[in-house]
Amino acid sequence: MLPEEKTGILGWGSYIPRWRIDLKEIADLWGFNPVQPVELAVSEKSVAGVDEDAVTMGWEAALNALKRAGINPGEIGAVWFGTESKPYAVKPSATIIAEALGITPKTMASDWEFACRAASEAIRVAIGAVASGLVKYALVIGSDTAQANPGDVLEFTASSAATALIIGPRDEAAAFFEASASFVTDTPDFWRRDHSWYPLHGEAFTGEPAYFKHIVGAVELLFEKTGLKPEDFDYAVFHQPNGTFPIRVARMLGIPREKVLPGLVTPYIGNSYNSSALIGLSKVLDEAKPGQRILLAPFGSGAGADAYSIVVTERVLERQGKALKVEDYLKRKHLISYAKYAKNRRLINRIV
Amino acid sequence: MKISIPPSWRNRVARYRLTATKCRDCGRTLYPPSEVCRACGSRNVEKVELINEKAKLVTWTIIYSAMDGFEDRRPVILGVLETLESKARILAPLTDVLPEELQVGLLMEPVMRRISEEGEAGLIHYGIAYRPLVKT
Repeated sequence: MLPEEKTGILGWGSYIPRWRIDLKEIADLWGFNPVQPVELAVSEKSVAGVDEDAVTMGWEAALNALKRAGINPGEIGAVWFGTESKPYAVKPSATIIAEALGITPKTMASDWEFACRAASEAIRVAIGAVASGLVKYALVIGSDTAQANPGDVLEFTASSAATALIIGPRDEAAAFFEASASFVTDTPDFWRRDHSWYPLHGEAFTGEPAYFKHIVGAVELLFEKTGLKPEDFDYAVFHQPNGTFPIRVARMLGIPREKVLPGLVTPYIGNSYNSSALIGLSKVLDEAKPGQRILLAPFGSGAGADAYSIVVTERVLERQGKALKVEDYLKRKHLISYAKYAKNRRLINRIV
Repeated sequence: MKISIPPSWRNRVARYRLTATKCRDCGRTLYPPSEVCRACGSRNVEKVELINEKAKLVTWTIIYSAMDGFEDRRPVILGVLETLESKARILAPLTDVLPEELQVGLLMEPVMRRISEEGEAGLIHYGIAYRPLVKT
Protein backbone atom coordinates (compact mmCIF):
# COMPACT_ATOMS: atom_id res chain seq x y z
CA MET A 1 0.00 0.00 0.00
CA LEU A 2 1.36 3.42 -0.97
CA PRO A 3 1.46 6.06 1.81
CA GLU A 4 -0.95 8.15 -0.26
CA GLU A 5 -3.64 5.44 -0.06
CA LYS A 6 -3.87 5.82 3.72
CA THR A 7 -4.82 9.47 3.43
CA GLY A 8 -7.41 11.78 1.95
CA ILE A 9 -9.04 15.20 1.91
CA LEU A 10 -11.51 15.63 4.79
CA GLY A 11 -12.40 19.22 4.06
CA TRP A 12 -11.73 21.76 1.35
CA GLY A 13 -12.50 25.45 1.02
CA SER A 14 -11.64 28.50 -1.02
CA TYR A 15 -11.92 32.26 -0.92
CA ILE A 16 -12.04 34.89 -3.67
CA PRO A 17 -12.14 38.62 -2.90
CA ARG A 18 -15.18 40.60 -4.05
CA TRP A 19 -13.26 43.08 -6.21
CA ARG A 20 -12.45 42.47 -9.90
CA ILE A 21 -10.72 44.44 -12.61
CA ASP A 22 -11.59 44.03 -16.28
CA LEU A 23 -8.43 43.11 -18.19
CA LYS A 24 -9.44 45.52 -20.94
CA GLU A 25 -8.65 48.36 -18.47
CA ILE A 26 -5.11 47.07 -18.00
CA ALA A 27 -4.61 46.68 -21.76
CA ASP A 28 -5.91 50.19 -22.35
CA LEU A 29 -3.84 51.84 -19.61
CA TRP A 30 -0.54 50.31 -20.68
CA GLY A 31 -1.20 50.40 -24.42
CA PHE A 32 -1.21 46.66 -24.99
CA ASN A 33 -2.83 45.13 -28.03
CA PRO A 34 -6.54 44.98 -27.07
CA VAL A 35 -6.66 41.30 -28.03
CA GLN A 36 -4.10 40.38 -25.32
CA PRO A 37 -6.77 39.38 -22.73
CA VAL A 38 -8.54 37.32 -25.39
CA GLU A 39 -5.29 35.49 -26.20
CA LEU A 40 -4.82 34.76 -22.49
CA ALA A 41 -8.47 33.64 -22.30
CA VAL A 42 -8.95 35.66 -19.10
CA SER A 43 -11.63 38.36 -18.84
CA GLU A 44 -11.28 39.66 -15.27
CA LYS A 45 -8.98 39.16 -12.30
CA SER A 46 -9.77 39.21 -8.60
CA VAL A 47 -8.23 41.97 -6.50
CA ALA A 48 -7.83 41.74 -2.73
CA GLY A 49 -9.29 44.63 -0.76
CA VAL A 50 -7.14 47.18 1.03
CA ASP A 51 -7.70 45.29 4.33
CA GLU A 52 -6.90 41.87 2.83
CA ASP A 53 -3.70 39.89 2.41
CA ALA A 54 -2.60 36.27 2.04
CA VAL A 55 -3.29 35.67 5.76
CA THR A 56 -6.87 36.97 5.81
CA MET A 57 -7.73 35.12 2.60
CA GLY A 58 -6.06 31.94 3.85
CA TRP A 59 -8.04 32.22 7.11
CA GLU A 60 -11.37 32.21 5.26
CA ALA A 61 -10.39 29.34 2.97
CA ALA A 62 -9.24 27.34 6.03
CA LEU A 63 -12.45 28.15 7.91
CA ASN A 64 -14.47 26.79 4.98
CA ALA A 65 -12.30 23.64 4.93
CA LEU A 66 -12.81 23.19 8.70
CA LYS A 67 -16.59 23.52 8.34
CA ARG A 68 -16.56 20.73 5.77
CA ALA A 69 -14.18 18.47 7.69
CA GLY A 70 -16.16 18.84 10.93
CA ILE A 71 -13.13 18.07 13.08
CA ASN A 72 -11.86 19.59 16.30
CA PRO A 73 -9.26 22.21 15.23
CA GLY A 74 -7.13 21.25 18.24
CA GLU A 75 -6.44 17.87 16.63
CA ILE A 76 -4.66 19.44 13.66
CA GLY A 77 -0.94 18.72 14.00
CA ALA A 78 0.42 20.81 11.12
CA VAL A 79 -0.57 24.14 9.57
CA TRP A 80 1.40 24.66 6.40
CA PHE A 81 0.98 27.87 4.47
CA GLY A 82 2.12 28.08 0.83
CA THR A 83 2.50 31.61 -0.52
CA GLU A 84 4.76 34.00 -2.35
CA SER A 85 3.08 37.08 -0.89
CA LYS A 86 3.69 36.77 2.85
CA PRO A 87 2.61 39.84 4.81
CA TYR A 88 5.78 39.50 6.92
CA ALA A 89 9.16 38.57 5.44
CA VAL A 90 10.05 37.15 8.87
CA LYS A 91 7.17 36.08 11.17
CA PRO A 92 5.13 33.10 10.14
CA SER A 93 1.74 33.62 8.56
CA ALA A 94 0.81 30.06 9.56
CA THR A 95 0.82 30.86 13.28
CA ILE A 96 -1.62 33.76 12.82
CA ILE A 97 -4.11 31.52 11.06
CA ALA A 98 -3.52 28.64 13.49
CA GLU A 99 -4.20 30.94 16.44
CA ALA A 100 -7.29 32.48 14.84
CA LEU A 101 -8.79 29.06 14.12
CA GLY A 102 -8.10 27.58 17.55
CA ILE A 103 -5.45 25.14 16.34
CA THR A 104 -2.61 26.40 18.57
CA PRO A 105 -0.50 25.53 20.50
CA LYS A 106 0.05 21.78 19.96
CA THR A 107 0.87 21.94 16.27
CA MET A 108 3.59 22.51 13.71
CA ALA A 109 3.14 25.70 11.72
CA SER A 110 5.27 27.20 8.97
CA ASP A 111 5.28 29.04 5.67
CA TRP A 112 6.48 27.31 2.52
CA GLU A 113 8.10 28.86 -0.54
CA PHE A 114 8.27 27.43 -4.05
CA ALA A 115 6.58 30.10 -6.21
CA CYS A 116 3.07 28.80 -7.06
CA ARG A 117 3.83 25.25 -5.94
CA ALA A 118 4.68 25.73 -2.27
CA ALA A 119 1.28 24.54 -1.02
CA SER A 120 1.43 21.52 -3.30
CA GLU A 121 4.74 20.38 -1.85
CA ALA A 122 3.13 20.84 1.57
CA ILE A 123 0.30 18.53 0.47
CA ARG A 124 2.77 15.77 -0.40
CA VAL A 125 4.53 16.19 2.94
CA ALA A 126 1.17 16.28 4.75
CA ILE A 127 0.29 12.97 3.12
CA GLY A 128 3.53 11.53 4.50
CA ALA A 129 2.97 13.01 7.96
CA VAL A 130 -0.58 11.64 8.18
CA ALA A 131 0.29 8.24 6.68
CA SER A 132 3.16 7.79 9.15
CA GLY A 133 1.00 8.72 12.12
CA LEU A 134 3.16 11.75 12.96
CA VAL A 135 0.02 13.91 12.87
CA LYS A 136 -3.68 13.04 12.75
CA TYR A 137 -4.72 15.95 10.54
CA ALA A 138 -2.81 18.57 8.55
CA LEU A 139 -4.12 21.88 7.25
CA VAL A 140 -2.50 23.03 4.00
CA ILE A 141 -3.29 26.49 2.65
CA GLY A 142 -2.33 28.04 -0.67
CA SER A 143 -2.95 31.79 -0.63
CA ASP A 144 -1.61 34.68 -2.68
CA THR A 145 -2.16 38.32 -3.44
CA ALA A 146 0.01 37.84 -6.49
CA GLN A 147 2.27 40.75 -7.39
CA ALA A 148 3.18 41.89 -10.89
CA ASN A 149 5.24 44.82 -12.11
CA PRO A 150 2.72 47.41 -13.33
CA GLY A 151 2.75 47.36 -17.12
CA ASP A 152 4.28 43.88 -17.30
CA VAL A 153 2.31 41.22 -19.13
CA LEU A 154 2.04 39.32 -15.82
CA GLU A 155 -0.20 42.10 -14.52
CA PHE A 156 -3.03 40.80 -16.66
CA THR A 157 -3.34 37.64 -14.63
CA ALA A 158 -1.63 38.05 -11.20
CA SER A 159 -4.66 37.84 -8.90
CA SER A 160 -5.80 37.08 -5.36
CA ALA A 161 -7.48 33.98 -3.91
CA ALA A 162 -6.90 31.17 -1.41
CA THR A 163 -7.67 27.48 -1.03
CA ALA A 164 -7.24 25.17 1.95
CA LEU A 165 -7.33 21.39 2.36
CA ILE A 166 -7.55 19.33 5.53
CA ILE A 167 -5.67 16.10 5.04
CA GLY A 168 -6.28 13.16 7.32
CA PRO A 169 -7.00 9.43 7.46
CA ARG A 170 -8.66 7.89 4.40
CA ASP A 171 -11.55 6.42 6.40
CA GLU A 172 -12.73 9.95 7.25
CA ALA A 173 -12.09 11.47 3.83
CA ALA A 174 -14.41 13.03 1.24
CA ALA A 175 -11.79 12.07 -1.36
CA PHE A 176 -8.73 9.87 -0.96
CA PHE A 177 -5.31 10.00 -2.55
CA GLU A 178 -4.27 7.03 -4.69
CA ALA A 179 -0.77 8.13 -5.62
CA SER A 180 1.37 11.21 -6.22
CA ALA A 181 4.59 12.18 -7.99
CA SER A 182 6.88 15.20 -8.26
CA PHE A 183 9.11 16.50 -11.07
CA VAL A 184 11.58 19.29 -10.25
CA THR A 185 14.53 20.97 -12.02
CA ASP A 186 16.50 24.23 -11.74
CA THR A 187 14.74 26.41 -14.34
CA PRO A 188 14.97 30.24 -14.52
CA ASP A 189 11.43 30.99 -15.66
CA PHE A 190 10.30 33.38 -12.88
CA TRP A 191 11.94 34.85 -9.79
CA ARG A 192 12.00 37.71 -7.31
CA ARG A 193 15.17 38.79 -5.53
CA ASP A 194 15.35 40.17 -1.98
CA HIS A 195 14.13 43.79 -1.80
CA SER A 196 12.73 43.62 -5.31
CA TRP A 197 9.06 44.63 -5.27
CA TYR A 198 7.97 42.53 -8.21
CA PRO A 199 8.94 39.24 -9.82
CA LEU A 200 10.68 39.05 -13.19
CA HIS A 201 10.31 36.29 -15.71
CA GLY A 202 12.42 34.75 -18.45
CA GLU A 203 9.99 35.26 -21.30
CA ALA A 204 11.01 32.25 -23.42
CA PHE A 205 11.19 29.97 -20.39
CA THR A 206 7.58 30.32 -19.27
CA GLY A 207 5.96 27.73 -21.53
CA GLU A 208 7.86 24.77 -22.93
CA PRO A 209 10.87 24.42 -20.58
CA ALA A 210 8.89 25.29 -17.46
CA TYR A 211 5.12 24.76 -17.37
CA PHE A 212 4.70 22.08 -20.01
CA LYS A 213 7.86 20.07 -19.33
CA HIS A 214 7.29 19.84 -15.60
CA ILE A 215 3.57 19.13 -15.62
CA VAL A 216 3.93 16.51 -18.35
CA GLY A 217 6.89 15.05 -16.43
CA ALA A 218 4.96 14.77 -13.17
CA VAL A 219 1.79 13.38 -14.75
CA GLU A 220 3.71 10.79 -16.79
CA LEU A 221 5.49 9.70 -13.59
CA LEU A 222 2.09 9.30 -11.94
CA PHE A 223 0.82 7.24 -14.88
CA GLU A 224 3.95 5.03 -14.73
CA LYS A 225 3.59 4.56 -10.97
CA THR A 226 -0.10 3.63 -11.06
CA GLY A 227 -0.76 2.21 -14.51
CA LEU A 228 -3.59 4.74 -14.82
CA LYS A 229 -4.37 6.24 -18.22
CA PRO A 230 -5.92 9.59 -19.25
CA GLU A 231 -9.29 7.93 -19.83
CA ASP A 232 -9.39 6.73 -16.19
CA PHE A 233 -9.89 10.31 -14.98
CA ASP A 234 -13.20 12.19 -14.85
CA TYR A 235 -11.57 15.57 -14.19
CA ALA A 236 -8.13 17.06 -14.85
CA VAL A 237 -7.04 20.13 -12.90
CA PHE A 238 -3.75 21.81 -13.78
CA HIS A 239 -1.96 24.93 -12.61
CA GLN A 240 -3.73 27.67 -14.53
CA PRO A 241 -1.54 30.73 -15.24
CA ASN A 242 -3.97 31.70 -18.01
CA GLY A 243 -6.99 30.14 -19.70
CA THR A 244 -5.08 28.40 -22.49
CA PHE A 245 -2.10 26.57 -20.92
CA PRO A 246 -4.25 24.00 -19.03
CA ILE A 247 -6.10 23.08 -22.24
CA ARG A 248 -2.80 22.76 -24.15
CA VAL A 249 -1.11 20.61 -21.53
CA ALA A 250 -4.20 18.41 -21.37
CA ARG A 251 -4.03 17.93 -25.14
CA MET A 252 -0.33 16.96 -24.83
CA LEU A 253 -1.35 14.30 -22.30
CA GLY A 254 -4.28 13.02 -24.34
CA ILE A 255 -6.95 14.47 -22.02
CA PRO A 256 -9.99 16.11 -23.64
CA ARG A 257 -10.80 19.74 -22.76
CA GLU A 258 -14.22 18.73 -21.35
CA LYS A 259 -12.40 17.17 -18.39
CA VAL A 260 -10.44 20.39 -17.78
CA LEU A 261 -13.22 22.98 -18.07
CA PRO A 262 -15.07 22.21 -14.77
CA GLY A 263 -11.91 23.07 -12.78
CA LEU A 264 -10.80 26.01 -14.89
CA VAL A 265 -11.29 29.14 -12.75
CA THR A 266 -8.56 31.45 -14.13
CA PRO A 267 -10.69 32.85 -17.01
CA TYR A 268 -12.91 34.51 -14.37
CA ILE A 269 -10.42 35.56 -11.66
CA GLY A 270 -6.90 35.32 -13.11
CA ASN A 271 -3.98 33.30 -11.76
CA SER A 272 -4.09 33.08 -7.97
CA TYR A 273 -0.61 31.48 -7.78
CA ASN A 274 -0.58 29.08 -4.80
CA SER A 275 -4.35 28.76 -5.06
CA SER A 276 -4.35 28.46 -8.86
CA ALA A 277 -4.62 24.69 -9.30
CA LEU A 278 -6.06 24.14 -5.82
CA ILE A 279 -9.07 26.39 -6.40
CA GLY A 280 -9.74 24.30 -9.50
CA LEU A 281 -9.69 21.18 -7.30
CA SER A 282 -11.93 22.93 -4.78
CA LYS A 283 -14.48 23.77 -7.49
CA VAL A 284 -14.43 20.19 -8.78
CA LEU A 285 -14.94 18.80 -5.25
CA ASP A 286 -17.87 21.22 -4.85
CA GLU A 287 -19.67 19.32 -7.61
CA ALA A 288 -18.01 15.88 -7.87
CA LYS A 289 -19.83 12.58 -7.37
CA PRO A 290 -18.67 9.56 -5.37
CA GLY A 291 -16.40 7.25 -7.35
CA GLN A 292 -15.07 9.92 -9.71
CA ARG A 293 -11.30 10.22 -10.16
CA ILE A 294 -9.51 13.58 -10.34
CA LEU A 295 -6.07 14.30 -11.77
CA LEU A 296 -4.50 17.29 -9.98
CA ALA A 297 -1.24 18.81 -11.25
CA PRO A 298 -0.02 22.04 -9.62
CA PHE A 299 3.11 23.78 -10.99
CA GLY A 300 5.53 26.32 -9.56
CA SER A 301 8.24 28.34 -11.24
CA GLY A 302 11.83 27.62 -10.51
CA ALA A 303 10.52 24.95 -11.40
CA GLY A 304 8.48 21.92 -10.41
CA ALA A 305 5.15 20.16 -10.70
CA ASP A 306 3.29 17.47 -8.80
CA ALA A 307 0.64 15.06 -9.95
CA TYR A 308 -2.00 13.46 -7.74
CA SER A 309 -4.68 10.89 -8.38
CA ILE A 310 -7.66 11.56 -6.11
CA VAL A 311 -10.81 9.44 -5.83
CA VAL A 312 -14.04 10.94 -4.49
CA THR A 313 -15.93 9.04 -1.75
CA GLU A 314 -19.57 9.00 -0.57
CA ARG A 315 -18.74 11.53 2.15
CA VAL A 316 -18.30 14.29 -0.42
CA LEU A 317 -22.08 14.66 -0.78
CA GLU A 318 -22.76 15.55 2.86
CA ARG A 319 -19.84 18.03 2.93
CA GLN A 320 -20.40 19.96 -0.30
CA GLY A 321 -23.14 22.13 1.20
CA LYS A 322 -21.44 22.77 4.56
CA ALA A 323 -19.50 25.85 3.44
CA LEU A 324 -19.45 28.45 0.67
CA LYS A 325 -18.56 27.04 -2.75
CA VAL A 326 -16.17 28.48 -5.33
CA GLU A 327 -19.20 29.30 -7.45
CA ASP A 328 -20.65 31.43 -4.60
CA TYR A 329 -17.50 33.55 -4.55
CA LEU A 330 -17.36 33.74 -8.36
CA LYS A 331 -20.87 35.20 -8.38
CA ARG A 332 -20.04 37.80 -5.70
CA LYS A 333 -18.14 40.42 -7.66
CA HIS A 334 -17.89 44.14 -8.17
CA LEU A 335 -15.75 45.72 -10.87
CA ILE A 336 -13.31 48.44 -9.82
CA SER A 337 -11.14 50.87 -11.77
CA TYR A 338 -7.40 50.50 -12.35
CA ALA A 339 -6.93 53.37 -9.89
CA LYS A 340 -8.73 51.49 -7.09
CA TYR A 341 -6.87 48.30 -7.96
CA ALA A 342 -3.58 50.24 -7.75
CA LYS A 343 -4.55 51.64 -4.34
CA ASN A 344 -5.75 48.27 -3.00
CA ARG A 345 -2.58 46.48 -4.09
CA ARG A 346 -0.30 49.28 -2.90
CA LEU A 347 1.05 50.16 -6.32
CA ILE A 348 0.97 53.85 -5.36
CA ASN A 349 3.90 55.06 -3.26
CA ARG A 350 2.89 57.02 -0.18
CA ILE A 351 4.74 58.20 2.92
CA VAL A 352 3.16 56.39 5.85
CA MET B 1 -0.93 54.76 14.51
CA LYS B 2 1.16 52.92 17.07
CA ILE B 3 -0.46 50.27 19.23
CA SER B 4 1.44 48.90 22.20
CA ILE B 5 2.49 45.31 21.54
CA PRO B 6 1.53 43.70 24.93
CA PRO B 7 -2.19 44.61 24.95
CA SER B 8 -2.50 43.80 21.27
CA TRP B 9 -0.92 40.41 21.90
CA ARG B 10 -2.99 39.69 25.02
CA ASN B 11 -6.23 40.42 23.19
CA ARG B 12 -5.38 38.58 19.99
CA VAL B 13 -7.54 35.51 20.57
CA ALA B 14 -10.55 37.59 21.63
CA ARG B 15 -10.00 39.75 18.57
CA TYR B 16 -9.63 36.86 16.12
CA ARG B 17 -12.57 34.83 17.44
CA LEU B 18 -14.87 37.51 18.79
CA THR B 19 -14.77 36.29 22.36
CA ALA B 20 -17.66 37.67 24.41
CA THR B 21 -19.09 37.17 27.90
CA LYS B 22 -22.38 35.41 28.51
CA CYS B 23 -24.01 36.05 31.87
CA ARG B 24 -25.37 32.88 33.48
CA ASP B 25 -27.74 34.97 35.60
CA CYS B 26 -29.41 37.45 33.23
CA GLY B 27 -28.56 35.61 29.99
CA ARG B 28 -27.12 38.67 28.20
CA THR B 29 -24.12 38.24 25.92
CA LEU B 30 -21.79 41.21 25.95
CA TYR B 31 -18.88 42.15 23.72
CA PRO B 32 -16.08 42.89 24.47
CA PRO B 33 -15.78 40.32 27.29
CA SER B 34 -15.40 41.29 30.91
CA GLU B 35 -15.27 39.60 34.30
CA VAL B 36 -18.48 41.30 35.39
CA CYS B 37 -21.77 41.39 33.49
CA ARG B 38 -22.22 44.98 32.42
CA ALA B 39 -26.01 44.50 32.34
CA CYS B 40 -26.70 43.08 35.83
CA GLY B 41 -23.38 43.23 37.69
CA SER B 42 -23.14 39.46 38.17
CA ARG B 43 -19.73 37.77 38.22
CA ASN B 44 -21.35 34.50 37.15
CA VAL B 45 -20.21 34.80 33.53
CA GLU B 46 -18.71 32.50 30.90
CA LYS B 47 -16.68 33.14 27.77
CA VAL B 48 -18.36 32.43 24.42
CA GLU B 49 -17.18 32.92 20.84
CA LEU B 50 -19.32 34.76 18.31
CA ILE B 51 -17.19 34.08 15.24
CA ASN B 52 -19.71 31.64 13.75
CA GLU B 53 -22.74 33.87 14.27
CA LYS B 54 -24.24 36.02 11.56
CA ALA B 55 -25.43 39.47 12.55
CA LYS B 56 -27.75 42.22 11.36
CA LEU B 57 -26.69 45.80 10.88
CA VAL B 58 -28.27 48.10 13.46
CA THR B 59 -26.64 51.39 12.50
CA TRP B 60 -23.44 52.75 10.98
CA THR B 61 -21.34 55.83 10.45
CA ILE B 62 -19.22 56.81 7.47
CA ILE B 63 -15.99 58.58 8.43
CA TYR B 64 -14.44 60.77 5.75
CA SER B 65 -11.89 62.39 8.07
CA ALA B 66 -10.05 59.20 8.95
CA MET B 67 -7.32 59.29 11.54
CA ASP B 68 -3.64 58.89 10.67
CA GLY B 69 -2.84 55.49 9.25
CA PHE B 70 -6.32 54.94 7.78
CA GLU B 71 -6.06 57.24 4.75
CA ASP B 72 -6.17 54.31 2.32
CA ARG B 73 -9.42 53.05 3.88
CA ARG B 74 -11.41 56.24 3.42
CA PRO B 75 -14.29 56.35 3.82
CA VAL B 76 -13.98 54.22 6.95
CA ILE B 77 -17.32 52.59 7.74
CA LEU B 78 -18.04 51.54 11.32
CA GLY B 79 -21.16 49.63 12.18
CA VAL B 80 -23.10 48.45 15.20
CA LEU B 81 -24.27 44.90 14.69
CA GLU B 82 -26.51 42.56 16.62
CA THR B 83 -25.68 38.87 16.42
CA LEU B 84 -28.66 36.75 15.41
CA GLU B 85 -28.66 34.11 18.17
CA SER B 86 -26.97 35.63 21.21
CA LYS B 87 -28.19 39.20 20.50
CA ALA B 88 -24.79 40.65 21.38
CA ARG B 89 -24.09 44.18 20.16
CA ILE B 90 -20.76 44.63 18.43
CA LEU B 91 -19.02 47.74 17.14
CA ALA B 92 -16.83 46.77 14.20
CA PRO B 93 -15.47 48.00 10.89
CA LEU B 94 -17.58 47.08 7.85
CA THR B 95 -15.83 45.77 4.75
CA ASP B 96 -16.52 44.58 1.18
CA VAL B 97 -19.46 46.96 1.09
CA LEU B 98 -20.14 50.24 -0.69
CA PRO B 99 -21.80 53.06 1.28
CA GLU B 100 -24.87 52.96 -0.99
CA GLU B 101 -25.38 49.25 -0.21
CA LEU B 102 -25.81 49.81 3.54
CA GLN B 103 -29.25 49.41 5.07
CA VAL B 104 -30.64 48.74 8.53
CA GLY B 105 -31.12 45.00 9.01
CA LEU B 106 -28.51 44.05 6.37
CA LEU B 107 -27.32 40.53 7.20
CA MET B 108 -23.57 40.40 7.72
CA GLU B 109 -20.89 37.90 8.74
CA PRO B 110 -17.58 38.30 10.59
CA VAL B 111 -14.32 37.94 8.65
CA MET B 112 -10.67 38.29 9.60
CA ARG B 113 -9.07 41.42 8.15
CA ARG B 114 -6.08 43.74 8.61
CA ILE B 115 -7.51 46.24 11.07
CA SER B 116 -4.43 48.47 11.32
CA GLU B 117 -0.70 48.41 10.81
CA GLU B 118 2.24 50.36 12.10
CA GLY B 119 3.73 51.79 8.93
CA GLU B 120 5.54 49.60 6.44
CA ALA B 121 7.93 48.00 8.92
CA GLY B 122 5.81 47.60 12.06
CA LEU B 123 3.30 45.04 13.23
CA ILE B 124 0.09 44.27 11.38
CA HIS B 125 -2.93 44.02 13.68
CA TYR B 126 -5.53 41.54 12.50
CA GLY B 127 -9.07 41.45 13.79
CA ILE B 128 -12.69 41.07 12.79
CA ALA B 129 -14.67 43.15 10.35
CA TYR B 130 -18.20 42.46 9.10
CA ARG B 131 -19.21 42.07 5.46
CA PRO B 132 -22.55 41.40 3.77
CA LEU B 133 -23.31 37.67 3.48
CA VAL B 134 -21.63 36.15 0.42
CA LYS B 135 -24.67 33.96 -0.09
CA THR B 136 -28.03 35.10 1.21
